[in-house]
Amino acid sequence: MMNDMRKIERDTVASEIKIQARGVQVFYGDTHAIKDVSVDILDKTVTAFIGPSGCGKSTFLRCLNRMNDTIDIARVEGDIHIDGDDVYDPSIDPVQLRAKVGMVFQKPNPFPKSIYDNIAYGPRIHGLARTKAELDEIVERSLRRAAIWDEVKDRLHEPGTGLSGGQQQRLCIARAVATEPEVLLMDEPCSALDPIATAQVEDLIDELRRNYSVVIVTHSMQQAARVSQKTAFFHLGNLVEYRETGQIFTNPEDPRTESYITGRIG
Amino acid sequence: MADATAGTDPNPKTGSTADLVRASLARRNRKQMILQVLGIGSISFAFLMLFILIASLVSSGYQAFTQTHITLEVFIDPEEVPLERLPRGGFDDVLEASLASVLEDADPNDRAAMRALGKLLSNGAQFKLRDRVVEDPDLIGQTVTMTVPVSDPYDQLNKGLIDRETPEQYRRLKNFEIAWFDQLMAMEAISKPLNTGLISNPDSRFPELAGLKGALIGSFWALFVCFVISFPLGIGAAIYLEEFAPKNKFSDFVEVNINNLAAVPSVVFGLLALAVFIGWFGLPRSAPFVGGMTLALMTMPTIIIATRAALKAVPPSIREAALGVGASKHQVVFGHVLPLAMPGILTGTIIGLAQALGETAPLLLIGMNAFITSAPSGPFDSATALPTQIFIWADSPERGFVSRTSAAILVLLGFLITMNAISIYLRNRFERSW
Repeated sequence: MMNDMRKIERDTVASEIKIQARGVQVFYGDTHAIKDVSVDILDKTVTAFIGPSGCGKSTFLRCLNRMNDTIDIARVEGDIHIDGDDVYDPSIDPVQLRAKVGMVFQKPNPFPKSIYDNIAYGPRIHGLARTKAELDEIVERSLRRAAIWDEVKDRLHEPGTGLSGGQQQRLCIARAVATEPEVLLMDEPCSALDPIATAQVEDLIDELRRNYSVVIVTHSMQQAARVSQKTAFFHLGNLVEYRETGQIFTNPEDPRTESYITGRIG
Repeated sequence: MADATAGTDPNPKTGSTADLVRASLARRNRKQMILQVLGIGSISFAFLMLFILIASLVSSGYQAFTQTHITLEVFIDPEEVPLERLPRGGFDDVLEASLASVLEDADPNDRAAMRALGKLLSNGAQFKLRDRVVEDPDLIGQTVTMTVPVSDPYDQLNKGLIDRETPEQYRRLKNFEIAWFDQLMAMEAISKPLNTGLISNPDSRFPELAGLKGALIGSFWALFVCFVISFPLGIGAAIYLEEFAPKNKFSDFVEVNINNLAAVPSVVFGLLALAVFIGWFGLPRSAPFVGGMTLALMTMPTIIIATRAALKAVPPSIREAALGVGASKHQVVFGHVLPLAMPGILTGTIIGLAQALGETAPLLLIGMNAFITSAPSGPFDSATALPTQIFIWADSPERGFVSRTSAAILVLLGFLITMNAISIYLRNRFERSW
């Protein structure tokens, strides 16, 4: 496991707080899924959320772009500020928020449209391109950023669903970055991928850190160790520990964190 | 058996799992076998019934797809048909005279014989001649060649449906009439071409002239109106209920009642339409427009249920994907969910319309079973529909309508099969994988 931690030694760039969450509580009906979570997520940093299944890490991630709004029985309390703006303020439209906070899902979910239309959809609905040439440029730039341009440049008008799993997930990442978000949320983006595709996506995440604040939920501690600078450990809806990735894996403070990373709970 | 062993044996771990599995294999295979036999049996039974239905319809209906015609040289006598009396005139006398001139034993002065001779031709023959003369009055005084339908009894004779061995007093045609027909046959004046009148003629009292034109056009208008009303309303209601409506007691109540609406007997919708559309709004009776509105009441729940099922079947990952890039609810529904649900919606709609096409009871109540001898020129004209036309013909006493009823059922089944085939084609054509 130590071999996988090569990137931990990398410097964490001292950067500003992008997302500030205070006292967040989430209820699914009668279930108390997130209990009083407060966390500061930095800009231009990869933050990993780890923890056993059902610990609430995905739920918390989905609070950040208000995807929980689509679940009727979900109720969110507390404050989440992105760049100082309250995400749950009634004056904030979730549509506006999600243009700023992109999301990549666990299972690759390209639209059953062409590769080009998959990428162009977001810019089109937000009116980011005035001409066809501008749109072409956005599509190319997004696909390049997701490291998939060379593989698909000759078949932009074939369906995105015809790509392999790893390609589909990179297509979804390209789709997410096409709207120029400031934060990128990734919900177990590699769980449906083979090791090679996983490595490609991880390299990509490291690239994306230059422009975005990336928050990634993962089941794999090795992955958290490889790609993130900060790690948050969730357990039973509580945020147990949130520190530099290197510290959390080498010198955990909380006994629960230690049990989890040494494989005793999970 | 496994349960039995477990119950009697205090220690179920006597044999290995493999032994236990082997012991139960025969029983499990036998059960599977029985299930397969039952399945194949029930499918065979269904096919047998379908085969019997189609076979009986074809055997009684195929005769109606041809119609016996007679070709005559007709001298248009200016004395019988004077130019100044057009469009009136003794066209029937002209035709009778022309028949008498070719038959050996027909005496033009024997009134009874001449009347019997007139009954050889269809009642429509004189009108066919009249229309021709009115169109071109120069024909008066000339001889024209005409091919006209023979009347129903002679058509039956030609198709072998009248037994010549039956004693004369029990037979519809007397010996001398059969002799006339045989003479005409020998002269090769009789032909039996494809009965285009079955499709191109409106209804008639005379089987040899009766056709489905009015019913086809009436059914078309009724289905058109039904589609125009039920398709947008049904899809709109389904989208609202499935995507936008809050999930509460009221939406549950609405849902239960839409399912109830789909189960209401069609005759009840007919009574409702009679009371509301005709009685209250004063819309015309027997009109395909009213028929279409009535059928729309029945089709709409079907479309709503099919559309909701199709919307539900769209994977949530597609919605999340669209929401994730910042699409609004409306953009998600109309840009992604609805196009993906469209094949299912179209299939449900066509099946709903096919049901509406075959629906009879509500149309009877709003008077679409009237006897109407002209095709409607619009949705507000009186008309019949295919199923009500079948109902009328099945009720008619003339022998010729027996085969025509079967033929009309075959035409209706043909349309239904076509519609179902289209729905299967659309489903396969536009089904997308993700």
